[in-house]
Amino acid sequence: MADGTTTDAAVLQPNLALVLERITDGFFALDADWRIAYMNAEARRLLHVESDPIGRVWLEAFPKARGRLFEREYSRAMREQTPVQFVEYSATAECWFEVKAYPSADGLSVYFRDVSSRIEAQREVERNARRQRAIIDFGRSVLGGLSFEELLADAIDLLRDVLEAPIVEIYSYDRLRGRLVASGVVGWNPGASLDAFAPELDHLEHALRTGEPFVSGDLRVDPRARRMPELMSNGVRACICALVGTPADPKGMIVVYATTSRTFAVGDVRFVESLAQTIAEASSSIESSRRMRQVVETVRDGFVSFDRDLRITYANERFARFWGRTPETMIGESIAIHTDPLGDTGGRVYRALLETLQSQQSATIETQYRDRWHELRMYPFSDGVAAYVRDITRRKTEEQRIRDLNAELEARVAERTKQLQLANKELESFSYSVSHDLRAPLRAIDGFSQALVEDYGEQLDERAQNYLDRVRKAAQRMASLIDALLQLAKVARAAVTYTRVDLTAIARSFAEELHDRDPERRVEFAIEPALVALGEPNLLRAVLENLMGNAWKFTRKTENPRISVGRTDAGGEFFVRDNGAGFDMAYGNKLFGAFQRLHANEEFEGTGIGLATVARIVHRHGGTIRAEGETGKGATFYFSLPHRPDGVE
Amino acid sequence: MKPYILLVEDNEDDIELTQRAFDKNHIINEVVVLRDGAEACDFLFGDRGGRSLPQVILLDLKLPKISGLEVLEKIRASEDTHLIPTVILTSSKQEEDLLEGYRLGVNSYVRKPVDFNEFVEAVRQVGLYWLVLNEAPPQGIHI
Repeated sequence: MADGTTTDAAVLQPNLALVLERITDGFFALDADWRIAYMNAEARRLLHVESDPIGRVWLEAFPKARGRLFEREYSRAMREQTPVQFVEYSATAECWFEVKAYPSADGLSVYFRDVSSRIEAQREVERNARRQRAIIDFGRSVLGGLSFEELLADAIDLLRDVLEAPIVEIYSYDRLRGRLVASGVVGWNPGASLDAFAPELDHLEHALRTGEPFVSGDLRVDPRARRMPELMSNGVRACICALVGTPADPKGMIVVYATTSRTFAVGDVRFVESLAQTIAEASSSIESSRRMRQVVETVRDGFVSFDRDLRITYANERFARFWGRTPETMIGESIAIHTDPLGDTGGRVYRALLETLQSQQSATIETQYRDRWHELRMYPFSDGVAAYVRDITRRKTEEQRIRDLNAELEARVAERTKQLQLANKELESFSYSVSHDLRAPLRAIDGFSQALVEDYGEQLDERAQNYLDRVRKAAQRMASLIDALLQLAKVARAAVTYTRVDLTAIARSFAEELHDRDPERRVEFAIEPALVALGEPNLLRAVLENLMGNAWKFTRKTENPRISVGRTDAGGEFFVRDNGAGFDMAYGNKLFGAFQRLHANEEFEGTGIGLATVARIVHRHGGTIRAEGETGKGATFYFSLPHRPDGVE
Repeated sequence: MKPYILLVEDNEDDIELTQRAFDKNHIINEVVVLRDGAEACDFLFGDRGGRSLPQVILLDLKLPKISGLEVLEKIRASEDTHLIPTVILTSSKQEEDLLEGYRLGVNSYVRKPVDFNEFVEAVRQVGLYWLVLNEAPPQGIHI
């Protein structure tokens, strides 16, 4: 090394100078008075030395080194005559130097190189670790049940610390007004213009709209930042702006400002984003648990949760009030205090809770405690079990009342049914007697009258024979009345089952039958095709046969008798029409009563029960019947049958 | 012994009229009359006084003691009598009786008409069919 006092490049040995110029490190030499004796080209380049530094006092040439490691370590090396080695940021060169300095009696030789990229990489690794720690810590805070405001304050601190950024703003999104509202701001100088928080600024608007973070290393030259002069006049130079939530469901915004232009690392942006995401999640979980808690607090039902040992971890007002307690005093108590596990009800509750805990499946039981009924619904719930207790006393009472009412009703129905069955039985045995016992004497009257005529005819004059004939006729007439009455009674009892009935076919075959019975008569029949009804075939056949039989009967004295069977266009009523004797409408209401007759028996024979039977059959089907007529001009009987068997008895 | 008709009937008028109807139709087979269901059973399944089984049984339904349908059931249940042609001859044409009669295996169900002429005609047809046209089962002939 050179002697030092007048050291300059000239006095160095030419070989050494050559070597020093060639090495890739920066190198300079100081003499004992801290004057620069030599500085190689690399050193001049690294330190941006423009004028010749040789002979200048080092600290005067590089004033920014004062007080830094450079000054302290060089002093120590010279004082203690020991080599030193360190890494320090050079404000002069704006980069990191790794420095090795060797002292000698007459000065100090300093080798240094730019290790900025290495240092930056190291620092980035450290920062990453810090960010990760911060995110983890923040996550813990979220789980730790901090309030949302406390979380935001936490987040602001972390952001300032990790990003080494002086200004952090957190906005929440006002859903009602559809805009961001500052909810946490740290770092602004007092008196900074509040207009600076205007949410319509470019960076906020950008993040809000796209969901992508807005990152700018230098706002002064960022073409996207057109409307941010207030910010810049307040010293803001760089920013990261990240949306909390999504553009569709924004919850807020995190903004980090730096007052110097800087290049944010990818990790910085990610850090802000993760924080934003965590806050968004915390916000919705806090919101939902707040709402949940609100619901649970205000419901009219009891709610209680237990830990694995069935100790109460939460109880709402309602639950506590049931036990005459307040929720706070119940926390930590064992279930055993409240229900006797060995008791009947308590045992069921206890077992159901344990079962829910073990099977992780919800269960519902009903219990009676004193005069109250409760429904307990149990759910597996965050490492324990929750029970939802609803007072169902009213429902139970109602149920019981309904059961009682039903039982009473059933008893009454059974009683009525029994009475009806009895009545039916009586009716049955009545008609049975009628058909047996009433007919037998008639048969005797008829039979023995006939025998009298046959065996003793010669001893009887014509008048006596005529009387006997009348006796027989009366007996036979009474027999047919009995038959008709039995038929009427049968219709009343018959069950109606609904099937499609082809009325046209029935009418046609009965028309033939009428002709066969009375072949001398010439009656014109007009029967419409495709007359179909829903009903009991045998009963509907009886309707048609009665009505057509009447028409046949009452057209006996008519010229060109004509009987038509069809259906009206308008109401869809079926009808049987004839041009026979007809009837006086004044007596129309008497037509359908039993034993009502509008014609003398000598004129037209009949029992007077046929139409009553027809009316009863139609009514049994839920239909109606009516008649139109005029004396001497014929009659029409209309009857309707429902299309569907709804509302039929 | 000639084939005979067993008439189970409690109404004296009907007995007389039925007999008269047989006569008018020149059915000369003996008619044995029993006046209630118990008597009929005793006769058919017990002491017949040396008689064989009847060629045909005419059975009223409404009988004292044991009803006609019960008698019919016993007739059909017994090995000796189950093949004897049995005709229900009654006033009723109640559907239940008809169904029950046929279910128990009656051969015919005849309702006694009130009109005596019609009654004579019915008896004629029953007699013609069961006594003349119908071939009785082998064990029914105990001559």
